Amino acid sequence: MQHDDLETLRRTRRHFFQDCGVGLGRIVLGSLLARSLPAASSTKNPMAPKPPQFAAKARSIIYLFMAGGPSHLDMFAYKPKLRELNGQKPPESFMKGKRFAFMERMAQQKMLASPWQFARHGQAGTWISELLPHTAGIADDIAVINTMKTENFNHAPAKVFAHTGSIVPGRPSMGAWFTYGLGSESENLPGFVALQSGPRGPRNGPLIWGSGFLPSAYQGVPFLQGSEPVFNLASQPGVTAVRQQRALDAIRGMNELRYEASGDDEIATRIAAYETAFRMQTSGPELMNLEGESKETLELYGAQPGKNSFANNCLLARRLVERGVRCVQVYHTDWDHHSNIRNGMSKVCGEVDGPSAALVKDLKRRGLLDQTMVVWGGEFGRTPLSDGEEGQAIGRNHHIDAYSTWLAGGGIRGGQTIGETDDVGFYAVEDQVHVHDLHATMLHQMGIDHLKLTFRFQGRDFRLTDVGGQLVRKLL
Amino acid sequence: MPTAACGLELGLKLRQSLRIAANGLSTNLRMLACCGLTPDRLLTRAAPQRSAKLASQSQSDMLQQNVPMLPLLLLLATAACAQQGPDFNTDVRPLLEKRCLGCHNEKLKLSNLSLATRAGLQAGGKRGPVLERILEAIRHEGAVRMPPGVKLPDAEIRTLTRWVKAGAPWPENAVTKAPDKPLHWSFQPVKRPAEPEVRNRSWVRTPVDRFILARLEREKIAPSPDADNATLLRRAALDLTGLPPAPEEVAAFAADRNANAWQRRIDALLASPHYGERWARHWLDQARYADSDGGSRDEPRQIWRYRDWLIRAFEMDMPFDQFVVEQLAGDLLPNPTADQLTATGFHRNSPIQIEAGTDREQYRTEAVADRVDTTGTVFFGMAVGCARCHDHKFDPISHREYYQLYAFFNNSDDWGNDRPRYNARFNNLIDVQGPMLEFAPPETIAKRNQLLRRGLQLDEEMTEFRRKNPKAKDDPYVKERETEVAAILKALPRKLEGTMIMRELDQPRETYTMPGGDYLRKGERVSAGVPAFLHSFSAKANANRLDLAKWLVDPNNPLLARVTVNRIWMQYFGRGLVETENDFGTQGTPPSHPELLDWLASEFVRSGWSQKHIHRLILNSATYRQSAKVREDLSETDPRNLLLARQSRLRLDGEIVRDVALSASGLLAAKVGGPSVFPPQPESAMSASQIKKVWKASTGEDRYRRGMYTFYWRVTPYPALVVFDEPNAMTACTRRNRSNTPLQALTLLNDLAFHEMAQAFALRLMKEGADGRLDRAFLLAYSRLPAAKERERLRSLLAMERDALATKPDEIAKLVPLQAEGDKTELAAWVQLARVLMNTDEFITRE
Repeated sequence: MQHDDLETLRRTRRHFFQDCGVGLGRIVLGSLLARSLPAASSTKNPMAPKPPQFAAKARSIIYLFMAGGPSHLDMFAYKPKLRELNGQKPPESFMKGKRFAFMERMAQQKMLASPWQFARHGQAGTWISELLPHTAGIADDIAVINTMKTENFNHAPAKVFAHTGSIVPGRPSMGAWFTYGLGSESENLPGFVALQSGPRGPRNGPLIWGSGFLPSAYQGVPFLQGSEPVFNLASQPGVTAVRQQRALDAIRGMNELRYEASGDDEIATRIAAYETAFRMQTSGPELMNLEGESKETLELYGAQPGKNSFANNCLLARRLVERGVRCVQVYHTDWDHHSNIRNGMSKVCGEVDGPSAALVKDLKRRGLLDQTMVVWGGEFGRTPLSDGEEGQAIGRNHHIDAYSTWLAGGGIRGGQTIGETDDVGFYAVEDQVHVHDLHATMLHQMGIDHLKLTFRFQGRDFRLTDVGGQLVRKLL
Repeated sequence: MPTAACGLELGLKLRQSLRIAANGLSTNLRMLACCGLTPDRLLTRAAPQRSAKLASQSQSDMLQQNVPMLPLLLLLATAACAQQGPDFNTDVRPLLEKRCLGCHNEKLKLSNLSLATRAGLQAGGKRGPVLERILEAIRHEGAVRMPPGVKLPDAEIRTLTRWVKAGAPWPENAVTKAPDKPLHWSFQPVKRPAEPEVRNRSWVRTPVDRFILARLEREKIAPSPDADNATLLRRAALDLTGLPPAPEEVAAFAADRNANAWQRRIDALLASPHYGERWARHWLDQARYADSDGGSRDEPRQIWRYRDWLIRAFEMDMPFDQFVVEQLAGDLLPNPTADQLTATGFHRNSPIQIEAGTDREQYRTEAVADRVDTTGTVFFGMAVGCARCHDHKFDPISHREYYQLYAFFNNSDDWGNDRPRYNARFNNLIDVQGPMLEFAPPETIAKRNQLLRRGLQLDEEMTEFRRKNPKAKDDPYVKERETEVAAILKALPRKLEGTMIMRELDQPRETYTMPGGDYLRKGERVSAGVPAFLHSFSAKANANRLDLAKWLVDPNNPLLARVTVNRIWMQYFGRGLVETENDFGTQGTPPSHPELLDWLASEFVRSGWSQKHIHRLILNSATYRQSAKVREDLSETDPRNLLLARQSRLRLDGEIVRDVALSASGLLAAKVGGPSVFPPQPESAMSASQIKKVWKASTGEDRYRRGMYTFYWRVTPYPALVVFDEPNAMTACTRRNRSNTPLQALTLLNDLAFHEMAQAFALRLMKEGADGRLDRAFLLAYSRLPAAKERERLRSLLAMERDALATKPDEIAKLVPLQAEGDKTELAAWVQLARVLMNTDEFITRE
């Protein structure tokens, strides 16, 4: 019921936005606008929804980002051969000319098999290890890519690359491109939200959800835990809701008088921005309050109201896209298992497996999975070779030539595995999927041709996929 | 056995993998994609929005200056001449030479197309020969539009059309002659144009007005009247100093009946140290200045002295040529002073990536490229970065020339990016950020260096030992060293004052081209040099940065003066005379007033490169003084105000939003320069960084310093500045966005720093206002008195607040500042009023 009401309201407002150009400010101003004023492009609400270039499959994207480099070899890339080779030196041909992070210690490393059992799951028989029992349960909803390819073997640049298509920080994040291209369906919340859990932020922090050279209106807004998810969402002490409302009325009155005197459309935009800000002050805390979710839903995710956890963030991600937010980045950190991969992977997989699968299930049963694309993956994978100083528990090093990512919803064909790597999961032998290709495909599902979403900066047209990017047709 | 077998199998599969890897886009395709030349993308490039009339006007302006023509896809018709075409030698050849040969000649051969010979035409270009597409291209109908940005006059299109339809006949031995240099307007020497005649001479205040008015008169548009005195004063004060005028200054100006009252105000503002601050901040955007390294660790750095050097340089009106030379090569001047060394901080503002396991050469390469690109953007007004991977597709900068520029910057000492090993333990202590000019006593520095060297040595010995003896945990060898390291860490003098500077290596590096921009690929060896399309470079062999700097400020440089005066102009009108202030190349927009641009550029050089001279010419002009009121009569003819028949309202930059709030509140600490400070910010603002950073809000005067002194962490910059479009400091920013968003509203409404200012504003009004409190409030906030309707609206707000507060002592206690005395109900009501005044569009706008 409540959802329907919200939907109706949203549609009504959408109607106003489309007809009136600058949003509610226009309506508020009423008679002032009877005069014809030049419509300069800069006065449009940058976040007003824009039509896609062609019929879109997905309306929103949730990217569950596993920062640190999750080991594909222990989750999705089943390599029985590696078991035979376990503990042996890698063939020389294999290492020749190859560059790694921590180059100096790679010479001594040996092949390392996964300590976990793999099995086929779902009708498609997708290989998934015992680390991810819940993910195994949604095998027919997800498409696993085992041949992802990226371009830099260090965390910070690889993460920047995974988000912006460039290893050098400063370009717009994919979420910024989405909102730049499509605006947002949410009037009361930012169009692009970043959620994080764990002991620290992902490396490079805001640079990976920044808007780069795009207008700053498109940058991701990091949501914090608690009732004030956005900086300055709560009023200062003594400024009650009524007092804030009175202030806003007076501000609007003053702005209207100035608008009359100057004729500058920027003032109309500012009036609209203040209206939205006030609505955000109410909708923000409402969004963050998970108490209204059923016990069953909370249990499905493993979410606990008031806690900062990946599970809570997955649930919040659903609530955000439900409210029309275009792009949600959910970060989980702690996947950098140079040593003691046995304990490390058990721990992090335990934290993310259930909530990730719950998100897909929950979206599906609410009819939202069709229009929401969920992407799960990190900045690179890990080597089939051991890593770590001798004497330590064994781990794996960074690896960029093959790693795993899965997608679900938003028109992605689930129940399949894409790409085949060699016998040890080192290189792709079939269907390599470059990060640019993944980006191109994500944009495509959102109704955007990656070649056509460009922004001119310093004399050049830039795009998310830089100079590459090919659709991964098998995903569609 | 299994290993061998497997090796074979792996080998096979590896070959397959390699095939996949090679299966990427070809280099050529990548280039096209990078430059936006894929057909699809050109379709999406927005056409400049201007009325047809204006567009055709400025295009013909452009064509008079001969724009080179970029790749036409020519296919020589194989069919015999079917119809009588124009004569090649008299009609077609001059046209090709004038319009196309600038780029499509034998030497440059852009898009691999030469129109120098019949063979060249027959061979076609990179995109193959498609005869029909020439016509589509010159008519600007399809994906490829030639010449780029500017359409040929109809008569020329007709000539080429007839020629092509006739089978594109080309006499066998006819050879077209390429001009020596590309003909693009901005590459031509600056010629000082005569000041145009105008009818309405009484309107003219400085020569600038003649150029603007002549054009307006041609279009039969009357300029707008002057803005009122209060608006004018606030406008000039904000533009020059970033601070609003004090109410007393407004009154004094209104009372000044002297004929040159305005000029005197401008002179006074230009003499203010706050002028130095305001214009230094514009330059800091271009210098990508920040107080931290960027990258995942985002270590703090000491470089604020460079910022202070800029403030002084602007304040004293340092000649711009000297200003450029000292920043690019102050260290290479004979016996450089501390100031000249400090100035080289300009190119030490490159971000530094520090991360365990990184290939350091990759990031050193990025830093050098950053310096080349910044040099291009700031001083050429062009993106040279395109040529990092391949020849520039639109502008005459070759891949090789890019690396010749690169060679100037490749010899710098870059410890931050260049040290062979990352050392976590000493990371904060050694100057990983590279060469510093240090201010500590020499003996302290010597002691620090000695301790560090020993510390690093011990650390390396231990690492080596542990590698060889992985099992030996408590070996005395390690223990002994650990004890000594602990002692060193304790004894190390820390936080020594210094500033990052450029320094050349004793052993210069060799520079090679890097095909595809890949730092692992070594192309041809090159020596330092400059792009051939610009003025000549007479430096000796082994040219260095100083030679480059001197070449840049050569008065024959067609770009530097134009680019610089255009950026000054941009700050006053919201848009440059060349709208693409960072692209003076063939893809940029042509100037709206080409003669004015050249006149200002020549005036700049003639005045001894005085920026203040240019400011005076603009600020004293009638053009600048016009009202910003939107004119309905121009809504059709000039909706974007390209002709400047009025001024424009411009939202203030983030730092200035803070500054006007601090000014109104009376909290502003006017101190100029010094280390960066930490005003209050939302608690969780630092939570996103990888390494936890503590933001301890400054107390005392430093809590209320101007926005430009806020400590800039590249990874977690100050939210209230970011939200108002402060640039990200990763690359040179030549023009800020001016967004208008709900997050800005939330900042002004609810941010603690702004709330404190509203409280102080109210407190100030209680003390200073007496009866005319509202008048005083308006003078402080807007430099004007309230209109009747505003008075009425705000009085009613005050009445409502008083009523509401009468029964709410708890709310009063929360609203009033701690130091409040007297009638607290009244004060609380005025806090609300102050909040309103500080949240209007006018408050954060220069009108």
